[in-house]
Amino acid sequence: MAGIWVYSEDVALVKQLLTIGREVAGTLNKPVAALTLSEADAADLAAETVYVLKGQNPWPESYVQAIADLAAKEAPDVIFVGATPRGKDLAAKLASILKAGLVTEAFKVSVENGAIETERMMYGGLAVCTEILQGLSLVTIPPRQYEPAAAGKGNVVTIDAATDVPVSVSNVCPIIREGADLASAEKVICVGRGLGKEDDLKIARDLAAAVGGEVGCTRSIAEDYHWLPAETYIGLSGVKVKPVLYLSMGVSGQVQHVAGIRDSKIIVGIDMNENALIFEAADYGIVGDLYDVVPALTEAIKQAK
Amino acid sequence: MANIVVCYKWVLDEQDIKVNPGNLALDTSRAKSKISDYDRNAIEEAVLLNEKDGHKVTGLTFGVAGAKQSLKDALSRGPAEAVWVNDPVAAEADAFVTANVLAGALKKVGNYDVIICGEGAADTYAQQVGPRLAAVLGIPAITFVNQMSIEGDKVVATRKLGDCTETVTASFPVVVTVLPEINKPRIPSLKQVLGASKKPVTEIKLADLGLNPDDLKRKTTVKSLKGYAMTRKNVIYKDGSTAEKVAKLVAELAKEGAL
Ligand SMILES: Cc1cc2nc3c(=O)[nH]c(=O)nc-3n(C[C@H](O)[C@H](O)[C@H](O)COP(=O)(O)OP(=O)(O)OC[C@H]3O[C@@H](n4cnc5c(N)ncnc54)[C@H](O)[C@@H]3O)c2cc1C
Ligand SMILES: Nc1ncnc2c1ncn2[C@@H]1O[C@H](COP(=O)(O)O)[C@@H](O)[C@H]1O
Repeated sequence: MAGIWVYSEDVALVKQLLTIGREVAGTLNKPVAALTLSEADAADLAAETVYVLKGQNPWPESYVQAIADLAAKEAPDVIFVGATPRGKDLAAKLASILKAGLVTEAFKVSVENGAIETERMMYGGLAVCTEILQGLSLVTIPPRQYEPAAAGKGNVVTIDAATDVPVSVSNVCPIIREGADLASAEKVICVGRGLGKEDDLKIARDLAAAVGGEVGCTRSIAEDYHWLPAETYIGLSGVKVKPVLYLSMGVSGQVQHVAGIRDSKIIVGIDMNENALIFEAADYGIVGDLYDVVPALTEAIKQAK
Repeated sequence: MANIVVCYKWVLDEQDIKVNPGNLALDTSRAKSKISDYDRNAIEEAVLLNEKDGHKVTGLTFGVAGAKQSLKDALSRGPAEAVWVNDPVAAEADAFVTANVLAGALKKVGNYDVIICGEGAADTYAQQVGPRLAAVLGIPAITFVNQMSIEGDKVVATRKLGDCTETVTASFPVVVTVLPEINKPRIPSLKQVLGASKKPVTEIKLADLGLNPDDLKRKTTVKSLKGYAMTRKNVIYKDGSTAEKVAKLVAELAKEGAL
């Protein structure tokens, strides 16, 4: 069965991928198949065919050969894979086995003149690369880019998957989230290296409390200073946020950081340096010392409410 | 003792690339090149493993003629020698082609136990070459690693995945891709920079790898590569007292419904 396939180890993401999968399939007049690792999840997926890969190994990455074998047999046109870390690992190996192209983290997928086109970031977010897919191709798509598709009922096909892998996996432990869930926050207050010391995070927390938002940071704050957990840094290699209000203080606005805030409705930058790149990316900005500006802003917002 | 090969890419420094505001064309004419940021973490990790247990570290890059400049830079960071696959094909290569070429070079050079890559390159950030390389060589890949050690003929590594961490153990040979948080690359000393020119470099021509022409053809067609269009209001309050600037901002944010 040629057609559009979607796969993720995370069923919530399978449903989101079905939205774009169905759209592309509709335009190209092709069927859609969903691949899942769990029988329980297969029941309400809106695809013509739902393949349940059933194997002994609980490690999702170990299903790559089984998916490759199925794809070699059924010859899909394109496979959309959820761009979680596990999904990106599996997609790259799958593309390699199938000798296929792979577009990482496409933020746009469309059909132009009968061919699938994708757009993705290059040079840390400075540029956009538009690619035309040729032959069997894979595309990874970030979580929450599409709304989940409505439930449906497909023809469930269970595949006995061989899952032997030459590695052993242990100590699987959840990361304790100290930070907030920034990806879905409505208001985000972001701190950068303009902050002089860890105690001064209070300035950002006070503003966040005043607007009812969460505190995030740049990579330097999380990885060089370790003042906030790595899960809270925003950007190309960190979380992507899409709040109503993103407000930064002491953030220079390097392209890799800005790549993570572009879907914000309103972007505000506060920085001492009037030539800081953040002002090019911002709707509003204040040139000034954050230690003056932010406490005054917090007070003014409290007054205004 | 293990043979560690660390793969690094010589990329344009994105900070030097200008976007033409009119047609969004990229101007790379003034751009200098650099060792891709996260590949500096990969090199540092290989060198740290060597300092701890005594391994042999080789740098490997696939690049155009200009990548010759990268060799001294890479070697000043600690590897004992470097291998450079020099071919103009590198300019157009996608992860499929790059993985085929790097696999060809590894087979030619022969001894490899641990291959370390960066998580993603600073230009493409495709996050593909490491796991693809492993699949081409038919060996395991451990991706998104923030901690690793070599124990006998095994690599033990901690992966960091969105919502959890896990420990993966694999026997040689194995590919590991490292996250930037794994270490802090050191700045080479003058002595290391001077010493780098004395270290051996092997230059390989693509033709010597015996690859099939199909292995060197990229998989997607690039329709366009353009600057990202920034469309923001850019209202910046520069003059006046802090109170005035803050009052103007709060008034605008209230109007936008952003408070
Ligand atoms: C491949 C790659 C991926 C990356 N991914 C990310 C990512 O996902 N997220 C990320 O954040 N970064 C990322 N980076 C790093 C990024 O390029 C920048 O280095 C980083 O974002 C800079 O952080 P910063 O703005 O906090 O620090 P700086 O660039 O040092 O900026 C500090 C700012 O504070 C201002 N300042 C200082 N004192 C004050 C004061 N008292 N009041 C007001 N302003 C003040 C300064 O004028 C300056 O503009 C990545 C880099 C690479 C190469
Ligand atoms: N041309 C190249 N030469 C050597 N190593 C490379 C090359 N391209 C990519 N790599 C390695 O593969 C990693 C991931 O690259 P990418 O898949 O393009 O994001 C990089 O961090 C490097 O370690």
